[in-house]
Amino acid sequence: MMDDLKDLLLSIGPGVGCAVHWAIYRYYRNLDKTHAFERETTIVGKPVTGFDKLVKRDLKKEARIEGENTKDHRQRVKRIPGHEPGSG
Amino acid sequence: MSNSNDASLPPTPSLPGSVSPRERPSAGNPPINQASVAQVVRDERQAPDPLAIDTSSPELKDGANRCPNCGATDIRPTLGSDELICHYCRHQWVAVRVEDAFGLGDGIDQLEGTVIASGAADIAPDASSMVSFKCSGCGAEVTINTENAMTARCHWCRHVFGVNEQVANGAVPDAVLPFHIRKEDAVQRISQFVGKRRLFALKAFKEQFTPENVTGVYLPYMIVDGNASAEINGYGEIAKGRKTVRTGLRTRTLHVADVYRLKRHADFTVDDLPLESSAERGDLDTSRNTNNIINAIQPFDTKNAVKWNASWLYGFSSEKRDQNVAQLRQRLEDQLLSIARAQVETSVDGYDRGVRWESERLDLHGSRWVTMYLPVWLYSFHQPGAGGGMLHYIAVNGRTGETMGSVPLQRWKILLPAITVGGVIELVALWIVSWLP
Repeated sequence: MMDDLKDLLLSIGPGVGCAVHWAIYRYYRNLDKTHAFERETTIVGKPVTGFDKLVKRDLKKEARIEGENTKDHRQRVKRIPGHEPGSG
Repeated sequence: MSNSNDASLPPTPSLPGSVSPRERPSAGNPPINQASVAQVVRDERQAPDPLAIDTSSPELKDGANRCPNCGATDIRPTLGSDELICHYCRHQWVAVRVEDAFGLGDGIDQLEGTVIASGAADIAPDASSMVSFKCSGCGAEVTINTENAMTARCHWCRHVFGVNEQVANGAVPDAVLPFHIRKEDAVQRISQFVGKRRLFALKAFKEQFTPENVTGVYLPYMIVDGNASAEINGYGEIAKGRKTVRTGLRTRTLHVADVYRLKRHADFTVDDLPLESSAERGDLDTSRNTNNIINAIQPFDTKNAVKWNASWLYGFSSEKRDQNVAQLRQRLEDQLLSIARAQVETSVDGYDRGVRWESERLDLHGSRWVTMYLPVWLYSFHQPGAGGGMLHYIAVNGRTGETMGSVPLQRWKILLPAITVGGVIELVALWIVSWLP
């Protein structure tokens, strides 16, 4: 237990150093900046519909769901073919 | 058709006065004799595309944009407004907004199929960038290279010409959004942006920094309206407490979670979604370029775009479109799916352990495509390096003044604060550890 705490304390220094480097790099290069079209485009939507179905109660090791992508709007997942206009 | 038939073609007609580049036959390709083409083929060739919105300006096809007051051709934009001014009689007039002229903002929820404005039509593979005009003032030949310019002055009689007709080389859009931000303002914004980032900037960049070299450039975009539905499927989890499990001598805590299968359906319309219609600008891979900087200064107030007239480009450079609707369709679908995912986000707020979307489907019922030149003040710096180095941009939105940039870094300089701060904290940590049992 005490060893874990010591390891944690000793890892803070390098961690903060990396964070400082990353913050400066990001401030100068702005690699993460793009047009937020999801928010900055005029979008008119009808109320969202759908369903939620309880599948099971489970025991999980992690505090969050595996592969969470709620906020990663631009991360594409498996594409189901859609209806093409004019295909009937 | 045999060679003997080719030989019987009528001689190239001499076209007096002003003619459009489309009407001007090139020396290498004799014009098709319309009388020799079958009636059915002729009808199909000449019939307008039923889905197209015709944004062309036949009155400007001779390249001369004339002042409605005096007929002079020295027409220029009035910076800071959506007005053109005649530099001969000082008459000013307001440009026509494409949204009003062609109803582009209407009926998005009724859109079906793919509606393409005439300026967004496919680029002809053999279309030349060079466009020639016969000067209506003196008859001289004036050639414009549409790769980077859309206006020229007749070197004999000083008439000003612009490429106004929608030639099939992608250079003429349906609309243009005029510059509102002046060069002095852009210079100030760029200086301010760099001023905040001088400390760790590359030495060569600081030495060569000359914001006065900023260039006003019109960049090509497809502005798309879309009527779509999306279906998204996945799993969400709700925390229901913790449970301690003993395995041999060790105990560990597990999370109890209710797992739900989720399905969401969203119907939505999108108004004026901009897509870069130059392949180079559309490449946003930040490991190779800094095009994301130009992308990030959006949005533009595209609702105020005016009908195309080459006079708007006076004093500015422009980049030609090289992407057609078919090539941009995948990017549109990706962006619509991203919008759908953002739309459904609030509907899964209750899943405190998060949601994992696993599949998605898009039904694009209808889309409307319009090409537009958008105004950007651009400052660039080439940083030498492996693989050709990196071109860093600092860009200012020519309408809103929104500024974004990529400032090259002196690598060793940013290591100093990182090592210093990290080192100090590490010393404190070592001191604390030395006191622990």
